[in-house]
Amino acid sequence: MKLSSRFAGGLAVACALAVTIAGCSGGGQTDTPSVTDDADQASYTLVEDGTITVASDLANAPLDFVDESTGEAQGFEIDLINAVADKLGLECEVLPAMKFDTIVPLIQQGGRADVGVSNITITDERWEQVDFTDSYMDSNQGLVTRADASAVTEDALNVEGTKVAVQAGTTGAAWAEENLPNAEIVALDDPVVAVTGVQTGLYAAAVADLPVMTYLCSNSFTDCQVAIEIPTGEQYGIAVNKDNPGLTEAINGALAELEEEGYISELEVKWLGAEL
Amino acid sequence: MQHRRGALLVALALALTGAFALAAPRPAQALTTEKATARPNEDGGSSVIGGMDTRLTWEGTVEPGEEVTSVTLTLPEGSTFDHSTTRITALDGLSRMDVTGEAVPAGDSITVTFDQAIPEGSLLRLEITNMQFPSKGGDVVVSGSYEAADGTHDLADSPAIATIANTPLQSLVNWLDEQPWVEAWNSNQFLGMFLRPQLLVTSFSSLAPGWLLCLGIVVAAYPFAIALGLLFAMLKISKWKIVRAVAVVYINVLRGTPLFLQIYIMFFGLPMLNINIDNNVLGIIVMAINSSAYLAEIFRAGIQSIPQGQYEAASSLGMNYVQTMFNVILPQTVRRVIPTVTSDFITAFKDTSLLSSVGVMELMMFSKNLTTVTGNITPYVAAGIFYLIVTLPLIKVVGIVEENIARSERGAGPRPKRRADIADNADALVGKGAAEKNGVAEEGVARAVVAKEVAADAC
Repeated sequence: MKLSSRFAGGLAVACALAVTIAGCSGGGQTDTPSVTDDADQASYTLVEDGTITVASDLANAPLDFVDESTGEAQGFEIDLINAVADKLGLECEVLPAMKFDTIVPLIQQGGRADVGVSNITITDERWEQVDFTDSYMDSNQGLVTRADASAVTEDALNVEGTKVAVQAGTTGAAWAEENLPNAEIVALDDPVVAVTGVQTGLYAAAVADLPVMTYLCSNSFTDCQVAIEIPTGEQYGIAVNKDNPGLTEAINGALAELEEEGYISELEVKWLGAEL
Repeated sequence: MQHRRGALLVALALALTGAFALAAPRPAQALTTEKATARPNEDGGSSVIGGMDTRLTWEGTVEPGEEVTSVTLTLPEGSTFDHSTTRITALDGLSRMDVTGEAVPAGDSITVTFDQAIPEGSLLRLEITNMQFPSKGGDVVVSGSYEAADGTHDLADSPAIATIANTPLQSLVNWLDEQPWVEAWNSNQFLGMFLRPQLLVTSFSSLAPGWLLCLGIVVAAYPFAIALGLLFAMLKISKWKIVRAVAVVYINVLRGTPLFLQIYIMFFGLPMLNINIDNNVLGIIVMAINSSAYLAEIFRAGIQSIPQGQYEAASSLGMNYVQTMFNVILPQTVRRVIPTVTSDFITAFKDTSLLSSVGVMELMMFSKNLTTVTGNITPYVAAGIFYLIVTLPLIKVVGIVEENIARSERGAGPRPKRRADIADNADALVGKGAAEKNGVAEEGVARAVVAKEVAADAC
């Protein structure tokens, strides 16, 4: 009697489990294809069904960074990719912060993240490794020095013994290597460390994306300044694995819709203070 | 009719401009060359090598009142733009203009025609990826021409770009590039990403200075760490409470906080106090201080593991505390702590990698830079191999030393020569039984091991 009741209990639990699992997978299965069918786009694969997994360095305020109080990812790009996910009927999961220079290889490798959203400039070199969606933002480079630094010019920085901090793997790093060949270029993990080093006098200058530098200098590092605005006119794109062209297309569609609805302009006002 | 009139007008205009150009002093350039730079393409280096793919960036400004519809860039003979891709950027101040165009490479020159004229005052940037400079190297000047409203003009020469001829190492890499087995190997995603042969070769050569710096830092730091560690170990077993408290705080704070944090505090904190020390020296200081805390604990445990009998024996011989420590206790401690200290050395050596986060040019920093340029993980694997070159032999040493100690503690194994002599002499002089009876004093000096051996002999 006792044994059979236990058996019945076990059976009930097993049934409940089976139902739940069936429900879950059923939901997942019907969700994704239906979306792609609706939009009449090529199908795509995701690391996790029904979820778009995002890789970012979360170190570039106000584009992608971590909220100090909640520890949640936030910023222009986080809002943007969430909106894109909404359009595609997907959940959006942002992976814990990773180093910028590993994001493109990670996307190229595939298997851990679907998209790289980390103010990645579209360059032909990167395009050989990953695909890019249409650009969602234009940008430039900014060179930061201490606010009390006397007249700063590229020539004055391009001398032996000057240390210029950059974020490893960025277009800012490439710019510094190419245009300040005599200076010592120090590649760091993120722009915040670079500007901290400038603030403490460890480095003469730091080079990174202009919106980030402007934000850092006006919020956290008020004793630093954007001394040179470097016009590069680069464009940010979302990095997608080359074997997943359907996803690139789907995101492009969503981005176009968001642009049309004025959502991207809204985000620009929200995070950058003005429309670009 | 209209056509003919149009043609006539154009001819007239052309003739006029031609006459104007001849008669008047040459007008200012409509398109002023700002600069031309090339991306360093030396694997793990910062030089621009000829005969290998790189990226040329050319910038020019459109002067007021002018428009530019097409630009041709020309490089010295031996360069090639074939198979290159071109990215066109036109900027008005900081804002990007919507400009498209078509680039037609032709050997050592490339012509970029824009779909709409580039307006006055804009900055034009052409980034040409996968082009090559002449393989013999040397200073390269970008010349060329542009098409403005008033016809075709020559571009001012750009500042020279310094390029070098191929290096032997780079030739080896290029040779690897062509091998079919390398291609097959790299076509496996994992192998290509983590163990790309070409990158292993370049990594080994370019990581070497970083490896030497790591080794230099930890080797320079360790004597200080040992001295400091010994000092704090002594303080921690001191009789006085206050001295003990100081040692406990020092050891626990350093052992209880991440090295990363200590590095940050030292590297960012000291300059704020206007103390500016060279980065490498600062690295040595941080590593020495951090290791000293761990070593202090190791030494303290080592000293306290020596049996009380040793102290009693020493004092029965009339030794004072300092004599006891340096002649009896510490020599025995050293033997016992060698394996643990070596392990700590290994840890410290690996921990130098954290210094890369503050810009010390050590092994991980070099690998990071290489990974950055190549988008490949292989340099990190190469760095791992460099670490193993040091750590594997040390791990082996730890094993051997531990084995020896275990053997001698068991009383087996070869006797240390000098100690064996003492025991033998004792046997010869007073006989086995006498040596055993009067043993206490002798043992004190002849160390615990001998005592055990004598006891074993007696059995």
